[in-house]
Amino acid sequence: MGMDTNWAAENLQVIRTLMERSTLYRRALAPIMLVSGIIGTVASLVPRFVAIDTNRSFALFWLGVSIVTLLAGLLLVRRQALKAEEPFWSVPTRRVTQALLPAFLVGLLAGFFNVLNENSWHASLLAQLWVIVYGCALHAAGFFMPRGIRLFGWLFVLGGCALTFDTQSQPALRTPHAAHYVMGGFFGLLHLAYGIYLFFSEKRRPSA
Amino acid sequence: MNPEPFLLLDRVIHEKVRLAIMSLLAASPQLAFTEMRETLGMTDGNLTTHLRTLHEAGYISVTKAFQGGRPLTTYAMTPAGRKAFTSYIELLAQIVEQTKPK
Repeated sequence: MGMDTNWAAENLQVIRTLMERSTLYRRALAPIMLVSGIIGTVASLVPRFVAIDTNRSFALFWLGVSIVTLLAGLLLVRRQALKAEEPFWSVPTRRVTQALLPAFLVGLLAGFFNVLNENSWHASLLAQLWVIVYGCALHAAGFFMPRGIRLFGWLFVLGGCALTFDTQSQPALRTPHAAHYVMGGFFGLLHLAYGIYLFFSEKRRPSA
Repeated sequence: MNPEPFLLLDRVIHEKVRLAIMSLLAASPQLAFTEMRETLGMTDGNLTTHLRTLHEAGYISVTKAFQGGRPLTTYAMTPAGRKAFTSYIELLAQIVEQTKPK
């Protein structure tokens, strides 16, 4: 009967593991990270050629870039869902979206605040806030994702905090130009690096 | 030890693959055939056989639809299936509990 007990306990463990696995988001992240990284990097180079040097234009420009990136990400997820013959708006996708929403909303409102109040808030401060809240969003979504998304989120949170401290002692970091580089570094290069890492390490399985 | 809980175990759910399917569906309102196949690492034929058994027992429901011009088959646990699954887990817990050192 001892064997029966082991078997029953093992079955309960299997049930628990499978129930957890059923709720995890498993769609391939590498393409999404790579596309986000490319868009972010290219966008950070645009101000070299076009004057985006006021707080308002900075906020408007990057809000636009984030919308484009979000739409590109959604299209990629939809494409993967169609290819895998799975529902696009699956339960794990819904959970990840719900986890991302509060922080994304904070970022959106902060952006609008900067658009409406040209002189009350530095572009660099907005960039730092965006980096931190994006990290929080990733960390929250990471609870429904099996990979190192939470760690990636921490990288943004800690990087954003370090930048905030650094800005106090270095006035050069408070200019809109510096803010563009911050955005390019975090939302462009970091995503690109993580996308490349995932491209080689991620199992090619498009399920969500 | 009282052998009764063991004898009461639902034989439809008790099979390894069907238990795995029921576990996945218990945590998700619905799952596509391909999602289950990928998660469980099974062949189409094997999975279909077990899904059919669960469907015939009234434990799961099947919905066939189209998404972007492609067929999309999803499965969900029925109230009868949830009841049977809950009873199954309770019996397993009883078996484990019975032989715990006092």
